[in-house]
Amino acid sequence: MPHGQNPFSSEGILSWALLTPAIVILLAMTIAPSLYLLHSSFFSFTLLNPDLKRFVGLQNFLQAFLDPTVRQNIVVTLQFVVLAVTIQLFLGLALACALAPQSLTNVVGSTVLLLPFAVTPVVSALIWRQLLNPNYGWIDYYLQKLGLIERPIEWLSTAPTAWIAIIALDVWQWTPFIALILMAGLQSQPREPLEAAAVDGASLWQAFWHVTLPQLRPFIVIAVLLRMVEAFKTFGTIQILTGGGPGRSTELINLTLYRVGLQNFQIGAAAALGILFLILLSIIVSQLLRILGKNTELLA
Amino acid sequence: MKRRDFLKIAAATGATAFTSSVISRSTWAASAPNTPKVLNLLYATAEADSEAIKLILEDFNSKLGVKLNFETYPYSALQQKVFAELAASSSFYDLLVVDTPWMPALTGKIEPLSAYLNNSQLNNSADLNLSDFIPAVFYDAAVYNPKQPHRHFPNANAPVAVDIIKKEGFEIYGLPLQANVLTLAYRKDLFDNPQEQQGFESKYGKKLAAPATWDDFVSVAEFFTRPEKRLYGTTLMAGSGDWAVDDFKTLLAAWGGNGHMITDDFKMAFANPEGVAALSFYADLINKYKVTPPGVTSFSWDDVSDTFNSGLTAMAMNYHDMKLNQGVQGEVAYALVPKKVAAGPHFGTWILSVNKFSKNKEWAYRAVAWLTSAETQTRMLQKQLHPSRFSVYQKAVTDPQLQKDFANFYDVLGRSLAQGVGRPRLTNYSDVSKVIAVAVNNAATGSQQPQTALSAAVPQIKEMLSQAGYSVGNA
Repeated sequence: MPHGQNPFSSEGILSWALLTPAIVILLAMTIAPSLYLLHSSFFSFTLLNPDLKRFVGLQNFLQAFLDPTVRQNIVVTLQFVVLAVTIQLFLGLALACALAPQSLTNVVGSTVLLLPFAVTPVVSALIWRQLLNPNYGWIDYYLQKLGLIERPIEWLSTAPTAWIAIIALDVWQWTPFIALILMAGLQSQPREPLEAAAVDGASLWQAFWHVTLPQLRPFIVIAVLLRMVEAFKTFGTIQILTGGGPGRSTELINLTLYRVGLQNFQIGAAAALGILFLILLSIIVSQLLRILGKNTELLA
Repeated sequence: MKRRDFLKIAAATGATAFTSSVISRSTWAASAPNTPKVLNLLYATAEADSEAIKLILEDFNSKLGVKLNFETYPYSALQQKVFAELAASSSFYDLLVVDTPWMPALTGKIEPLSAYLNNSQLNNSADLNLSDFIPAVFYDAAVYNPKQPHRHFPNANAPVAVDIIKKEGFEIYGLPLQANVLTLAYRKDLFDNPQEQQGFESKYGKKLAAPATWDDFVSVAEFFTRPEKRLYGTTLMAGSGDWAVDDFKTLLAAWGGNGHMITDDFKMAFANPEGVAALSFYADLINKYKVTPPGVTSFSWDDVSDTFNSGLTAMAMNYHDMKLNQGVQGEVAYALVPKKVAAGPHFGTWILSVNKFSKNKEWAYRAVAWLTSAETQTRMLQKQLHPSRFSVYQKAVTDPQLQKDFANFYDVLGRSLAQGVGRPRLTNYSDVSKVIAVAVNNAATGSQQPQTALSAAVPQIKEMLSQAGYSVGNA
């Protein structure tokens, strides 16, 4: 509806009539489930016994707060997201810089780059599990062939190596995503500021740091934001690759949420856990936006 | 149960089953009232052997005069689908396949079958012969106390009969179809090799044979462990998942403990001397005796298959038969999982149940009875069904084709089922299982001592049980 238009005019009524289906669908598909989720979090019940539903106030939230396993899951999740996204950002930026100039080789390179994130995450995890198998996996085989290791590394059996495996898989799969966004940013940059910097005697590094990077900032914000949200949602790859092990060392909060909600069907407990995670995620993302988005048009 | 006893019961029940099945061949379906056109069955894709169901679909249609609409899902999706359908009181699926760990939460939503089993009018489609079911399997998978679903039937070796079950206040919630249990697969070609036999005898002073005790198991596993030749004694399911718990509870039962791990009164029966000894032995296989291949502490049952099938190990425990890869020249045979002071291999059975909300409950029951009958299960052997009836095992062990394809697997499977031990009956078993799996995995990787790992699991499990509404008290 155009700004300032009288909502009761015939055009205003028509606009509302056209908007109503979309608003109803939006309410039904997002707002209503969210409210139901909030409502459920104050009750103790399972999917199969809704009749035994009883109001427990904030008990579900308190239990989630006090549960050391949940706290550990949250730390593991944050650690995973920060490590994975940081590495992806740096590698993605390097790839984008290399592939940004328009040439046939770069076009082919960019196309090949798309392949990892075209693979379904669960499939990629299954393949990686085989590659990392210390008895007949390719990775240990070639590392031994090249003389880099004497005996096979049991990648998924110790916490440090399991972490290397899950981060490596995520980086392999999602770095191209960041690279493509940043490549689009680089290709859309005007040449003039760089030429002016060159005339003023700026080195390549100075031109990159003072000219290219500031202009790229909005694209970095978008790439990091989208990637972080996706990384927080990671489930299938970890479930397949490590199952949260060894011990609980790679157990992300989503694995626990899945077990509580979709294996034990404890709806109240799962709802509270989900809401706590949502609040945490909202705080992190908004702070991130504030920091990264400074001086960019994103927050204007 | 000894092999001879098992075969005796099998022979007796087999004869009854055959006679009854001949009698029951009739056109009863056409004359039965309120015949639905279609019955809908919700089933597991791989875990409960959907190929076996596909095999008999045509027979089902012609025999019952009803079409069986058959939908399958992989394990996790199936669990969610079953729970969602029942939570919504949906009548769409008339029959459901149910895995043992789900049942404690589902007793209120599944139709109890005792009244149907006692109704002769509903039992003319198939030979029912309840006493043909292996009691341990039947009581663990299908018999529940409706008021206290966490309780196991007090006598799991009693003959299967409706009146015995009702007298104890229990009900029957389905009929068992696909029964899985841990068995020990071994490389027969290696065990039969005269050089290996001589080598073993000169080293250990006894004959090389499939190990009957866990002490023998260590000797045999050590003997075959030759990393330089890419051969290891055994492999385990020591990764951080439900499978590690299955390994552990098998050893716990063997060491004289309660293989259910948690008693029906919610006492922690796994963090005791038997549990610590069992877990110590498990960890020792990996870290002290070093008879397992690299990576075993991240293995699931799937990895165990891959490892054994690729010729990397001489022995392996799993829930199903093993097939060596094409490039591996060898032969596989099976043995009971070894004993210590007792035996109690982990088992779990899929049952076919009737949806309480179905509009065709009587017909669904008829279908369940027919699908789990001895005659139908015998046909399903062609597709590697793991039967739940004595008489079917009797046929399986004398069938030359099955012997050729699966060696002595069915003989060992049947005898293993008779001594199997199931899980605790908890609505939040997956949570509890995860905590124990982490303890087992921590001990297996050596990051915690077995005693410490098991003790750490106790308060967590007590808290989980309390949260799930169980009265744990000071248990």
